[in-house]
Amino acid sequence: MAWAGNPRQEVEDAEAIRRSLDEAEWFSVIFDGHFAEIHRYVAQRLGPGSAEDVVAETFLAAFRRRARYDPARATVRAWLYGIATNVIHRHRRVEVRMLRALGRHGPDPDLPGHEERVAVRVSAQSLRPSIAAAVAGLAQRDRDVLLLVALAELSHEEIAEALGIPYGTVGSRLSRARRKLRAVLGERNPMLDRREGEDG
Amino acid sequence: MDELGRVRELYGEPSLDPLARARVRERLTAAPRRRRRRLTGMVALAGAVAVAAATLIALPDPEISGPGRSILLAAAHSAESGGEVSGAYWRVRKLIRRTYPERLGSGYWMVESRLAELWVARDGRVWAGARSLGVRPRTPADELAWRKDGAPTAWPGLPGDPGKGTLTATGGVPFSMAGQGMTIDQIRDLPADPGRLRALVEPLGEGLVADALSGLLWSKPSPPEVRAAAYRALADLPEVRYLGERTDEQGRRGAAFSFALPDPPGTRRTLIIDSATSRVLSSVTDAPGILNDQTELVLEAGWTDRKPAAP
Repeated sequence: MAWAGNPRQEVEDAEAIRRSLDEAEWFSVIFDGHFAEIHRYVAQRLGPGSAEDVVAETFLAAFRRRARYDPARATVRAWLYGIATNVIHRHRRVEVRMLRALGRHGPDPDLPGHEERVAVRVSAQSLRPSIAAAVAGLAQRDRDVLLLVALAELSHEEIAEALGIPYGTVGSRLSRARRKLRAVLGERNPMLDRREGEDG
Repeated sequence: MDELGRVRELYGEPSLDPLARARVRERLTAAPRRRRRRLTGMVALAGAVAVAAATLIALPDPEISGPGRSILLAAAHSAESGGEVSGAYWRVRKLIRRTYPERLGSGYWMVESRLAELWVARDGRVWAGARSLGVRPRTPADELAWRKDGAPTAWPGLPGDPGKGTLTATGGVPFSMAGQGMTIDQIRDLPADPGRLRALVEPLGEGLVADALSGLLWSKPSPPEVRAAAYRALADLPEVRYLGERTDEQGRRGAAFSFALPDPPGTRRTLIIDSATSRVLSSVTDAPGILNDQTELVLEAGWTDRKPAAP
């Protein structure tokens, strides 16, 4: 994310897209410049296993739609996040499963060496399951905005560009999502959580 | 920490394979041909007996002391006399099988299989290996429903094809016990006394002690005397139930023990132990009435001089 909001990068990206219309190879500038960031975001939402498919689909869609890319409307980075978000929507089941796993175990419960539930219960904060359930329970449009802020660290303006929604809508979706999470966090006293969890 | 911080913490940093970029690039430049998914390499391993998992654990007949206790003590004895083998890498290879948690298609259940490997170098470098082995119907009834459905091999969100093996340098601490990250050296330095070992994990509360102790026995490079101490400590835990002789999905005989896990409610773990070698052969976690069970078969666990490679 070193080049987030970097105007020179934006100009270079837009120029690469323009040139790629005639010479497809120019698109590799876009791929190389943004793969890591998009991959990380998708892997966070869907898990590393599904991420490669989704990221490949994202760049393929971007490549096919490159003629319609409008630098006046969105930076290439925001545009790619928007496409990735749409592709992620088609994998809702994976996302729900991912959130269930994150809530229960934290990242990668299957790695040998970390099998015990103990590791999970103690090192992971006891609020994990509630937060994961709350994120899974959000409306998709609210979850998109929340995660573009929390994980991708996009600005409100970039999110508006990425999702093609008004600036004000970003704010209202984000505050609705945050309100719901706060409600979950506030309801539970972390001091009591471990005992509650053990009793069932 | 605010809500956004909590969300970041929930997701954490994904462990990403450095070769992913090259693979995706390759796919994009190889042009977008649509390939029909086929259920080809349903690897022999996965072909075994997914069904057995369900029947294996159904009928408990708990026996708290008696033969169960003496089997654990015998395992402690063989652990102690095992001696220690050396090698450049600690390596664990597991076959993991789990029922996909939702009904698919017209309402059947599928079981996913995959290999998970861990390689830890003496200097602390860590690699994770993974390979998807594909999916298959859970029971003959599921198979019937699946065939009626046209025997699809992929569903939204569940790719059914076996995948290529990957090896990722993950970094980080390779093991954990009682929620604490553990290095090879820290595991080596654990107490060889059952009481002291138990005291280390006891603060976790009941319901967690058995899991922490047994965790030392499969997939961690615990030295012989620590393994022996863990077996002796387990033998004294009333919550550990002996279920009798069982065969794991690989057809290996052993003694089955189970104990409750606190989360989610009703969950238990059943371990099959070969008391002659003191090795843990497999673990099944399940909860009555819930199909989301998981079977882990330890295919290999030990020191090796081979170099880390994708499974």
